[in-house]
Amino acid sequence: MLELRNVQKRFGGVTALRDGNLSVSAGEVHLLLGENGAGKSTLMKIVAGIVSRDSGSMLWNGAEVFLNSPSEAAAIGIAMVNQESLLAPHLTVAENIFLGREKKRPLGWVNRREVIEEARAIIKQYGFPLAPEALVGHLSPAGRQLVEICRAIRHGSSLLIFDEPTSSLSDTETQQVFRIVRDLKSRGMAIIYITHRMDELRQIGDRFTILRDGAMVHTGVLADIPTDQLIRHMVGREVDHIYEREHLTPGETVLEVRDLSTAETQLRNISLKLRKGEITGMAGLIGAGRTELCRAIFGVDAITTGEVLLGGKPAHIRSPRDAVRAGIALVTEDRQVSGLALGLPIAANMTLANVERISRFGFLDLVSQNKLCTDLGKTMSLKAASVAQGAGTLSGGNQQKVVIAKWLFRQAQVFLFDEPTRGIDIGAKTEVFELMSELARQGAAILMVSSELTELQHVADRILVMRQGRISGELPRINGASPSQEQIMKLAVPESTAGNKAA
Amino acid sequence: MKIDSRLLQKLLPFLSLIALFIGLSIASPYFLTANNLASVARQTAVFNTMALGMTIVIITGGIDLSVGSILGLAGLIGAMALEAGYPVAVGVLVGIIVGTGCGFLNGLLITRLRIPPFVVTLGALGIYRGAALILSNGLPVHRIPPAFAFVGEGSLLGIPFVLWLLVICAVIVHLVLEHTRLGRYAFAIGSNKIASVYAGIPVDFHTTAVYAIGGALTGLAGMIEASRLMTGQPTAGQGYELQAIAAVVIGGGSLNGGEGSVVGTLIGAFIMGLLSNGADLLNISNYWQQVIIGSVIILAVTLDEVRKRRAR
Repeated sequence: MLELRNVQKRFGGVTALRDGNLSVSAGEVHLLLGENGAGKSTLMKIVAGIVSRDSGSMLWNGAEVFLNSPSEAAAIGIAMVNQESLLAPHLTVAENIFLGREKKRPLGWVNRREVIEEARAIIKQYGFPLAPEALVGHLSPAGRQLVEICRAIRHGSSLLIFDEPTSSLSDTETQQVFRIVRDLKSRGMAIIYITHRMDELRQIGDRFTILRDGAMVHTGVLADIPTDQLIRHMVGREVDHIYEREHLTPGETVLEVRDLSTAETQLRNISLKLRKGEITGMAGLIGAGRTELCRAIFGVDAITTGEVLLGGKPAHIRSPRDAVRAGIALVTEDRQVSGLALGLPIAANMTLANVERISRFGFLDLVSQNKLCTDLGKTMSLKAASVAQGAGTLSGGNQQKVVIAKWLFRQAQVFLFDEPTRGIDIGAKTEVFELMSELARQGAAILMVSSELTELQHVADRILVMRQGRISGELPRINGASPSQEQIMKLAVPESTAGNKAA
Repeated sequence: MKIDSRLLQKLLPFLSLIALFIGLSIASPYFLTANNLASVARQTAVFNTMALGMTIVIITGGIDLSVGSILGLAGLIGAMALEAGYPVAVGVLVGIIVGTGCGFLNGLLITRLRIPPFVVTLGALGIYRGAALILSNGLPVHRIPPAFAFVGEGSLLGIPFVLWLLVICAVIVHLVLEHTRLGRYAFAIGSNKIASVYAGIPVDFHTTAVYAIGGALTGLAGMIEASRLMTGQPTAGQGYELQAIAAVVIGGGSLNGGEGSVVGTLIGAFIMGLLSNGADLLNISNYWQQVIIGSVIILAVTLDEVRKRRAR
């Protein structure tokens, strides 16, 4: 159905794609694998008409095509479900489904009822939990993806590209997406699926293609290849496919949360302790309140009752500024929105939380700034030309390193990591874990929120689980062995059955 | 040596300024005379000084639409102080203080009420203008000591005094932007306000400070304008805000925040000054001047956007 041969693409002086090859047939889910920067996104943007190729050929049902815009791609039946949703939040579900494809009528008149009814029909046909009149801005990330899928169906697409659809979804939502993907497949649609989550590959994929450094390195049937071999092809070297760290005996309590509740974000009676040298894991479904807890501790959201203690004394944190001054760091789940000033150089980002350290009487010492930042980059094996490079030009993993560097530069003592490995490749994940371990070794207290249970199992010293705004349980390591995924999920899934008395 | 096309594009505003300069020297025999150049410097000094303040404001992702009115109010009250018999230096200082106060109030409203700068300063545009008219009863202030003329029309070491003022202000603003904490925070706030809050930066304080600095420079511009006219006009400065914004934008400042520079703004302001001066010399009508300057604004921003898109 779709065939790409020797596709090349350069952006300025950078070769994003040297030798892109891909062959996808109808009724299959084709996994596109590779580290960040391997060229997956570029290849998919070429297929979806977002960027044009420099050379090579793209055959669609046997005929050479050259797409200049997403609408040209949509016209021949290719659509993309985006990692970051491209919908109009102030319009309804139905309006978004039809956006750009409204029926042509005199004066551009739109028949609202007709649009809603048609949308309802599509939604019903696939059994999606969506209301056509709901505002897209009020939907969860999963809901927005469903709207994008409806759009693609409505536009008569026969090839759908999913770019990391589950990176921001909870496990139940992920299962829902899988069900939909299988359903679309059974209706004869071809699906290209990009993911970084190794645990979900086999639940969904039929065949796979691996890109590395802009070229295809391997393709085949998924069932024929073991996972460690897949990873080896992706990274091009041997990697322990599971990260292991030494678990130390924790020291004294650094930060304590006592009976904390919030009004707006509905946290209820949260108590926890973060200790020196310990990585405390935090599991839970999306919406369980994990991000909200980080925000409350960090002074973003107001605490209504309860308190946060630092070194045994009330901390009185009312703003992020108070938190930063008290030595708390928050690595947010969305680094592009709240972690980095993308337009500014790496050095400006690294020093952002502690400009005082490089200034005297309000004047900056740029020489010492550049030296300190260059050294910091080196210890973190940051891949950048220099610290003057724009933070926005870095890969996801390197951007995350800059965010962490910002807090190292601040010499924070308590680290709240909210989904620290989201959207970064395997190699960079390991490096992030190594940084976290090193921090713990040096005596930092760390809270690590993650939706990837395997990560928590390997990195965390103990795991707290949240459910519906409360802490539903704590799972310690027993004789060095981490709690099982079943144990965690049992505490995470909301249920009406007995035996879930909140801690 | 290979010429880097990106560098060339970055220097485009500067090269345009030089080209304009050379073009006008050839086109008109009067252009390259000391008298004419001094008059260009004097004409552009007011916009230039305002535009320096606007640069910092725009870097934080904000905008100040009220600077034209601030200019009028500051110039008027400064002139009133002179009329009351205070020395020239005190009068100028009064103008600067009034400007600072107006800018500070803008910043306070923006950060306390959490209303977009566009809306706050649009309202302030009316309020400050109205205040000037009420205060003066709509009548200009005339009885100003002749010594005050030196500020706008005098020369020091053969160079217009306003040019000295401008150079001093430009150096200070440049140092603030590139070498102080305040400047660093201005860029950070404009580039990503949420990340700045999360990094513990006192965002509200610095935002307010930036508007106050913009107001101070506008106050100074108001006194220059008053000195050039030798009156305190309650209606002075109408529409100047657009000139100031245009200078920043032609010079590479982004209305989305996080980008802008003193050198860029000065080039932008001088391009506009030369265009207007050149049009006068070449007898191009006032009406066409507006069309030409408007087109230059759009052209400059288009070229800058193309450059940024390529760099991505």
